[in-house]
Amino acid sequence: MRAEALKGHLDGLLLATLEGGPQHGYAIKEALRESTEGHIDLPTGTVYPALHRLERAGLISGSWSVVGGRRRRTYELTAEGRKALSDERDSWQEFAGAVTAALGTRPWPATS
Amino acid sequence: MAGHELIAAQVDILASRLPAQAVEELADGLQETYEAHLAVVNDPDTAARMAIAEFGDAEMITTAFCRESPWRRTAVALLATGPIMGAVWGVSLVCAQAWTWPIPLAVRITSGVVLVATALTLLAAATEKRTYRRTLAATLVGAIALITLDAVMLTAATMAPSLALWPLMPALSASLIRIIATLRALLSPALSRSGGGSR
Repeated sequence: MRAEALKGHLDGLLLATLEGGPQHGYAIKEALRESTEGHIDLPTGTVYPALHRLERAGLISGSWSVVGGRRRRTYELTAEGRKALSDERDSWQEFAGAVTAALGTRPWPATS
Repeated sequence: MAGHELIAAQVDILASRLPAQAVEELADGLQETYEAHLAVVNDPDTAARMAIAEFGDAEMITTAFCRESPWRRTAVALLATGPIMGAVWGVSLVCAQAWTWPIPLAVRITSGVVLVATALTLLAAATEKRTYRRTLAATLVGAIALITLDAVMLTAATMAPSLALWPLMPALSASLIRIIATLRALLSPALSRSGGGSR
């Protein structure tokens, strides 16, 4: 997947990856790759600055631990982060529905 | 599990460009990536090269950190509001007939030079991609210079004749707001770092 296609959605993807529980940077990147069946495979090193930005925004919180003799920073969603994720999901579903309708694959809004 | 010299070299490069805590976190991630590849290919050299390719090279990582830096955001915000501040001060000084004030030519020239140098320093901070510390240093220097200029203007205004003071009120208010906003922007990353953050 092209990097520019991710613009504006990376935050939501990272928050969604942390929904299942606390994870460290490499695990977050791997979880994102696996959940998208390899379509989104970011250079691991570039995930960290995005995590730091989310932490500054109060959407995730980080804590240090020692694993295998190395210091490791693990992140988890905050209450504010859960709300932001829910908002991101709503906005994505609306956007995806509109684009899908515009591309002619199904009507929008859905009228069951 | 033991590391690899290529991984260690990569961490050394990152350590020369990024804050210590960020490097510590990156080192753990890079080692984790290396170990994951080593478990599959069972050849340390190949695993190290694959890990660096997957993780991203030092150039790419530094650029990503500089782009997301709160210091860079502060520099960009100050640059973006610069023309508005310039316009407010320009109109206010014309209304106050500032050209009639007894300000020595040397002071006027010095103020202009400092203002241009400050703008260039902030521009350097906003466009820096190779060293995070340079982004931080340039933003601090530019922001402190701007706060000083605003403070000098505020102080000078209190010495102006009372009739000249009223036309300057919008500009003085704008400068006061900028001083508070800039101090807040500078203190916010510092406070988050002292609270255990990695910046």
